[in-house]
Amino acid sequence: MSWISALGPLQWLLLLLIPPAVLSLYFLKLKRRELAVPSTLLWRRTLEDVHVNSIWQKLRKNLLLYLQLLFLALLILACMRPGWSGQSRIGERRIYIIDNSASMQATDVPPNRLDLAKKKVRELLSDTSADDVGMVIAFSDRADVRQGFTKDRGRLFSAVDSIQATSHGSDVSEALRAAAGLANPGRSSFDNLSDIMVADAIPATVYLVSDGAFGDLGDFDLGKLKMEFIPVGEAKTQNLGILSFAIQRNEDKTSQLEAFARITNQGDAKVDFTASLELDGMLLDASTGSVDAGQEAGLLFELTDMDQGQLKLTLDYEDALKVDNVAYAAIRPAKQISVLLVTPGNAALETALQTARVQQIASVQVESPAFLTDPKYQAATLNAEFDLVIFDQCSPSQMPSSNTLFIGSVPPSPSTPAIPISKPGEEPHSDGWKFGQPQGPVFILDVNRTNSMTQYLEMASVDIVEARTIDPGESGTVLMTSDVGPVFGVAPRGPFQDAVLGFSIVQATSEGVGVNTNWGNRRSFPVFVYSTVEYLGGGITESSSPSVQPGWPIGLLLSNRFKDFRVVAPDGHTTELSRGDESRHTFTKTDELGIYQVFAKGVEKPVESFCVNLFSARESNLAVADSIQMGYEKVAASGSIVQARQEIWRWVLLLGLALLVVEWIVFNRRVFI
Amino acid sequence: MAESSTITSSKPSSAILSAETMAKLERMELVSRKIFRGRMKGERRSKRKGQSVEFADFRNYVNGDDLRFIDWNLFARMDRLYLKIFLEEEDLHFYTIIDDSMSMDFGEPSKFFVAKQIAASLAYIGLCRGDRVSVSSFETSSNPNVIRGKSSTHRLLGHLESLSCVTSATTMAESIKRFCVKNTGKGIVVLVTDLMNKSGYESALRMLVAREMDIFLIHLLSPEELSPAVQGDLKLVDCEDGDQREVSISAGLLNRYHQTLAAFIEQAKSFCNKRSITYVPARSDHAADVLVNEYLRSKGLVR
Repeated sequence: MSWISALGPLQWLLLLLIPPAVLSLYFLKLKRRELAVPSTLLWRRTLEDVHVNSIWQKLRKNLLLYLQLLFLALLILACMRPGWSGQSRIGERRIYIIDNSASMQATDVPPNRLDLAKKKVRELLSDTSADDVGMVIAFSDRADVRQGFTKDRGRLFSAVDSIQATSHGSDVSEALRAAAGLANPGRSSFDNLSDIMVADAIPATVYLVSDGAFGDLGDFDLGKLKMEFIPVGEAKTQNLGILSFAIQRNEDKTSQLEAFARITNQGDAKVDFTASLELDGMLLDASTGSVDAGQEAGLLFELTDMDQGQLKLTLDYEDALKVDNVAYAAIRPAKQISVLLVTPGNAALETALQTARVQQIASVQVESPAFLTDPKYQAATLNAEFDLVIFDQCSPSQMPSSNTLFIGSVPPSPSTPAIPISKPGEEPHSDGWKFGQPQGPVFILDVNRTNSMTQYLEMASVDIVEARTIDPGESGTVLMTSDVGPVFGVAPRGPFQDAVLGFSIVQATSEGVGVNTNWGNRRSFPVFVYSTVEYLGGGITESSSPSVQPGWPIGLLLSNRFKDFRVVAPDGHTTELSRGDESRHTFTKTDELGIYQVFAKGVEKPVESFCVNLFSARESNLAVADSIQMGYEKVAASGSIVQARQEIWRWVLLLGLALLVVEWIVFNRRVFI
Repeated sequence: MAESSTITSSKPSSAILSAETMAKLERMELVSRKIFRGRMKGERRSKRKGQSVEFADFRNYVNGDDLRFIDWNLFARMDRLYLKIFLEEEDLHFYTIIDDSMSMDFGEPSKFFVAKQIAASLAYIGLCRGDRVSVSSFETSSNPNVIRGKSSTHRLLGHLESLSCVTSATTMAESIKRFCVKNTGKGIVVLVTDLMNKSGYESALRMLVAREMDIFLIHLLSPEELSPAVQGDLKLVDCEDGDQREVSISAGLLNRYHQTLAAFIEQAKSFCNKRSITYVPARSDHAADVLVNEYLRSKGLVR
């Protein structure tokens, strides 16, 4: 039995003044009903023996008084909040970490795991004393501090109530780091910094309410945190989940698509299931399969004559977790990159642009430098008809409204009038770009592996007769460095990107075409051309849209032809995007499962689509962990019954109220007692 | 019997005596355990020797005796003069005193009304037998209304109707004292009272005992006094002297009250028994004629 004061000292004083007040009222007996009787003779004699005794004698047999005093005693007892099995928890810090990842949507415990977890936390909250401070953190694959440390229990309750189920994965480490950082304010929570105690660490208790579907926490140090793991959910829960769903083009028959799905069975019994595939809401195909307990099974659908559409795979199987029974995939809208190659003649480049891979993603138009003066070119560049313009050994008078690649030439300066062909020895320049004099021979020493244009290039055996150094300026990136300096770089120009290669592949001279480098014969050259077309042209090579897990960001390659885009989520919610300088845009509002479509302003058909799928074996596995590993420490589940302070003050108060009722009855009918 | 009880109990405002009751009472007779001297010739034997047909005794003739009472037959046999003595028959003095204090005004019907019924019944019996009947209250005890003969019934009832409870604090002892001073004759006294007198009833009864009267005490109590139906915290106000008693009614207190009441009754009974006063307890919610017909008959006041 332990006691918690529910009142302040002044309130206690007032409360303790009540019993003497009641007693004095009994002495005074202020209100009495007058009743005329024939004679008080007998009453006087009756009362005489009472009067001869002390006034306490009078009170001795007053049942009503005792009932009232008993009621007051119970009231005081209730205010002391008697309870059991609780240590002194005054002023404790409690951190409630609630899992709201996808697996918490499982309905193996009614109504579902998340609601049960919230209920348990509410129970814990209601058992805390008024001096305790609490914090509520929800976590899925990220931590979300719903309520910082507060004594206000109402805010803690509403913070718990506000937690909604998500389809995200689970990663508790961020939540624990947040708890550690906030619980021990003086302690640095950065792992790579040395811990500096600027204040005394205050111990806190962490109540981790989860199904434990997160991995080991590695070397997470609890420090002063006391961890209590409260598992929710049933240990053995049958669940079937889709682990992956992808569309691939048949290598032999390019018109044919294949849809693969991987199904996992996380239960302990073999399961027969039916999977149905829908295209744009219409049933396309169905397949049956079976998967053994703890095993995975594959599904293959062959799709023919399909250009684009949205595929939805549904497992027709009733299990606890519904979100992993659905997977989405979108067939990419056929999109061709339109490339303009302006060259006086470059066999290697033209050949590289004729490969099957490039042809699949791009349509290439080859023109001579004379085309640059053609009004058609002017109109085409103004209308942004080309995604990429490659200037080989030539330079336009004005930069086109598209991404560009200059090979052996330099972009025109915006202030100087355009010259169709650059002459050796000249010093053309562009904004931010600086170019050196051609010199040679040159050897490539290093390539930038982080850029997709150069990441697969092997330039060690490439000989270059003559090259000029380039400097893409502050905002640009050097992609290739030679013994004389950088020779290949890329830099943004408004919404576009310009790449400049400081050496030409072939050099047309008055004596004919001379080879400047042997790169054109190397295997890395077509790779370079393909990567460049893909990168600068915004090419999409996959036949199916990319898929991310819920809540994860997705990088969108937005065509430079449009400025404004909007992303339509599966639930119809629209997000406006404005293409900035970068063609790559990171989209983060991927909480909803399903297919997202990206529309360009003024274009009816979606220019891009992507899917959000759960695809998480960990979330599909509904087995409830009985302990969690925290570095070297193992935290066992504290049982589904929360070790909470069992308080009886409500019962005492109820008893008091019942007593009050009895007292009322006695007051009205006491003559019969 | 049942009819009359219904009449008296259910119609308290009705006449003091109903015709049926009167018919029953006519057959009754007041009985005195003592033989008193009357004031006039009556139907009762008197202690006084006189002229009647009842032979009492012989005595020697002395000079001056009335020669008419000499037993000449005995003179012929014994040759001595003997005088024949006859018992005198006289009337009976029958007094009824009703307590008219305010405490008698309680109950439904009120104790005072029941007392008047009892008094009327007994007085009517006396009138029918030619007794000398006097009905008075404490207030009018000094000026008793003495009537005789059945023809005076209407006077009796009229007198009773005129009686009412008075607020004046006439103590019982004072009233009895005045009664004893005014009524020198001996006879039956029926005292109808609730004995709720704070100055005590003992001295009053002693005075009556000293007058050598045949005393009947009808102790009339109402249900309110016998088992009070009160509850809660009360301030009890005495209707006579305004005395206030604060009580918190509880079962214990009520028990004590009952004990006190029983002791009070027992005390009165024992006081009466010691002094040859016939103590008759009565309830105001019981019919008066039942009391007279059955209870007083068993107590020997009427036959």
